Amino acid sequence: MEKSELQFGAASESHCGRCNPNSILGGIFSVLAAGFLFYVVPTHIEIPAHMQHPLLSPRFLPQLAGWLVLALSILLMIDGLVKPPKRTETDEFRRGVPIVRQLLMVAAGVVYVLFFEQLGAIGSGVLACVLLFLASGLRNLWVYALAIVFPAVVTLLFIYVLNVPLPPGTLWESLSLI
Amino acid sequence: MMKLMKSRVKTKILCSLAAVSLSLGGLAQADEWPEDNIRLVVPYSAGGTTDLLSRKVADLLQKELTTVVVENRPGAGSTVATGQLARGGRGSDHMLLMASPGHTIGASLYPNLRYDPVADFAFVRNVINIPNVMVVPGDSPYNTVAEFVEAAREQELSFSSPGIGSSVHMSGELFKNLTQTKLVHVPFRGSGEALPALLSGDVDVAFENMPTVYPHIQSGKLKALAVTTPTASEFLPDVPPMQEAGKGYGLETYETSAWFGLIAHKSFPEEGMVKLQAALDKVMAGEDFQKFLPQFGAEAGTVVGDDFRDFVQSELKKWSDVAEKANLKR
Amino acid sequence: MENFSEVLTLFLSVDNFFAIAVGVLVGVVVGAIPGLTATMAVALALPFTFSMEPVTAILLLVGIYKGGMYGGSITAILIRTPGSPASACTLLDGYPMAQQGKAKKALKTALYSSVVADMISNIALIFFASYLAKIALNFGPPEYFWLICFSLTIIVSVSGSSVVKGLIAAGLGIIVSTIGLDAVYGTQRLTFDNYNLMDRVSFIPLLIGLFAIPEVIEFYTSRVAPHIRTAVSGASLTWQEFKGLLKTIVRGSLIGVIIGAIPGTGATSAAFISYSEAKRTSSRKANFGKGEIEGVAAAESGNNGVAGATLIPLLSLGIPGDVITAIILGAFMIHGLTPGPVLFQENLTLVYALFCGIMVSSFVLVFVGNAAIRYFSLIADIPKTILLPIVLMFCIYGAYAVNNSTFDIGLMLAFGVLGFVFNRTGIAAAPFLIGFILGPMFEDNLRRTMLISKGDLSIFFRGPITWVFVLFTAASLIFAIRRYWVARKEDALG
Repeated sequence: MEKSELQFGAASESHCGRCNPNSILGGIFSVLAAGFLFYVVPTHIEIPAHMQHPLLSPRFLPQLAGWLVLALSILLMIDGLVKPPKRTETDEFRRGVPIVRQLLMVAAGVVYVLFFEQLGAIGSGVLACVLLFLASGLRNLWVYALAIVFPAVVTLLFIYVLNVPLPPGTLWESLSLI
Repeated sequence: MMKLMKSRVKTKILCSLAAVSLSLGGLAQADEWPEDNIRLVVPYSAGGTTDLLSRKVADLLQKELTTVVVENRPGAGSTVATGQLARGGRGSDHMLLMASPGHTIGASLYPNLRYDPVADFAFVRNVINIPNVMVVPGDSPYNTVAEFVEAAREQELSFSSPGIGSSVHMSGELFKNLTQTKLVHVPFRGSGEALPALLSGDVDVAFENMPTVYPHIQSGKLKALAVTTPTASEFLPDVPPMQEAGKGYGLETYETSAWFGLIAHKSFPEEGMVKLQAALDKVMAGEDFQKFLPQFGAEAGTVVGDDFRDFVQSELKKWSDVAEKANLKR
Repeated sequence: MENFSEVLTLFLSVDNFFAIAVGVLVGVVVGAIPGLTATMAVALALPFTFSMEPVTAILLLVGIYKGGMYGGSITAILIRTPGSPASACTLLDGYPMAQQGKAKKALKTALYSSVVADMISNIALIFFASYLAKIALNFGPPEYFWLICFSLTIIVSVSGSSVVKGLIAAGLGIIVSTIGLDAVYGTQRLTFDNYNLMDRVSFIPLLIGLFAIPEVIEFYTSRVAPHIRTAVSGASLTWQEFKGLLKTIVRGSLIGVIIGAIPGTGATSAAFISYSEAKRTSSRKANFGKGEIEGVAAAESGNNGVAGATLIPLLSLGIPGDVITAIILGAFMIHGLTPGPVLFQENLTLVYALFCGIMVSSFVLVFVGNAAIRYFSLIADIPKTILLPIVLMFCIYGAYAVNNSTFDIGLMLAFGVLGFVFNRTGIAAAPFLIGFILGPMFEDNLRRTMLISKGDLSIFFRGPITWVFVLFTAASLIFAIRRYWVARKEDALG
């Protein structure tokens, strides 16, 4: 679900002139809601063998919410067509953002999601912080020292003071095994 | 393991240089257990009953052995942490898990479990048992198990539980099966939500853990009809055990309790097992432990090693049957 | 009055004061760290209390609880990262205030609203515990059901510019909340056979993802802007302003007390209900959500009003209303005490010593809170280029720490993307959160009611409490619809 909404984020920007964002938003949400109601609910919510009352069905609330979203998205779509919202200007800072900046942010996210256990809390923290500092084009070397100190100190605080076991990193452990 | 991670990583890096020629490190561990801190994994979140009991046991155990670090890994009942233990790997020779009824009930409730709840583990010992109590609201018309069963066969009565698959819920389902009654299960989220419904009479009965209902039995707001263990509890000496109170109603074999016991990965070193069991014996005989038990209406666990394994095996069978009858089996 | 001197001897010890001070301090700091909640702090502190005197142990935990309730608001206001679930409501107006250079004012408002609410809550605990406990016992599933229905109507007031979009967000939140094993039948719902989803979506990753992560994404999808100091030096809260807020604060506290006394509803609902009420009756309705000081006061008083009141069902009935009080119950039991009527009969001195300590903790909060504001607000001076990577790191660690699972990190970032899309398309995130919290409560209580009544619908109107909440719900809906039409008309004219 998240994916299609992401794509939409880009779509609305470019179509801002001809169609209005509310109609598109309503359209997309109604398609998603319909997909949810007629595909996801029947296939991914089991109905128990024995049920005392239809109100007790595991499908009741998801369907209620699904229909709510469907109805309101259609309303939003129609509302947008009948009474287009005033165009708001895009923030000047949102234009002409270097693609590298955005890619580095995504890379930092990927480091955390995929390599958190492998690199450990300190390792991935340092790497992600460096990537994000690079994204902002920081030149000061002291700042990069900060990117090493902070994750290390915070991780150790989490582990020893708060007793929260953050991963030490399986990569380092296997390296030391050689 | 997380203890002294920094120094461990450092020594590991240093060692890795030396270990190229000295691959004896792996062999050394067999003759001196424990050579590292013991990790006690609690498969539920911090602050719950399992966590509390585990931390107390860990605290006492580390006075006998070595530092015991408690780690909470909640998720999907207790099956996430249990699955991780079953997979083994590095550090599993110093890893213990506090198993509870969720270990056996979860096996029925959660689909495609990627481990065998018995074969994949080594069983250290059963440490603590907490009996459940069959309680009805103080102004309930039923005063004995017999009266209750008679009534429940006539009409639909309801029982509350702190959640599906809890020992409290399954005790009720077992009761329902054995007595052939029409009990309806009303699930809540936690005893805190379930108790008011019982106290106010919205539900008719519950098979709650002793410490949860004990103060209310004392104050008369709840009536205890039976305890679920085969013998009467020392906390409620006047309350008959279910097997006795339910004679003639199919309850002759009824027995449930919330048990807590330590398990480990199946490849847990033999020497460690011996030392651990000896240390636990000492801990459990100690004054500290004996003073701790009554605060939870608990009793010391009895079964050790293979007996503990057999106990878990029988529990597994019992709950699997109950789950099947209650349409909970996946 | 010999009892009184016994109480004092039990209470007046260095240990107790130390425990309160440490507790409140730890609570504020941990509460302020994204991802670490008061619940977690209380749970982690519990083992340390095993060896303490009972009064000291419990005061430490209560101190953490109270500190944590306030601490969450600091980072919510300064960096839009709710440290605790309830402070998601504080953020609605607190963060815009900080952006306008009124961070100090917002922080002080939050602090003093918290302290006043705390005191009112304590007084309710000490003087009306038995009365409020009786009300709590009269809350069965049908009463809860209507209370939740009433609470759901607050979605309208936190929907921001578009009610329709807000309701869509709430619907999505409800859908996400139904992921996991079904509570009645144990069947799988929307889990896609993924183990990590069987226990429902974890709350903390969702909370941080929805509010804090979009700020990070927003920053990196914009060009680097010159650093604007969010001004810690700005004006503080004046006495005049505080007096103006007092009505809101008292009302919020009372809402918090009532919600807190009823087990299982929680501080987050209280904060949002209080906020919604303040908005409904305020003369500056339009400014809510854009940096309205009254909004901050309402949210904080609502959530801190709960803190003392949740101890009511705990102490007088032995029933824990939420996870924190369940842990505190554990602490009582470790020390061989069983909360409930028996405690008042057998350990009355201890109960009163606790009351003394709880009162003192509110005063301590004033000092600790002010110190925290001074030091935490330094983070407002750090340029975002450095601050945001570190905030992200905290969020990641916090999300991981909830279940020790990397899955939650992914989940948090996914909700971050969702929150970002919400931001860009003018959908408010708060209704999503409310849907997520209240959806399961709605369903649970509906189903419990049906199970208890064996399908008889008349149970939904079984007594005066149900009728009161039916009327509240209806009134709230009528108000909402009327306001919606008025706003539309004005919109059409303007």
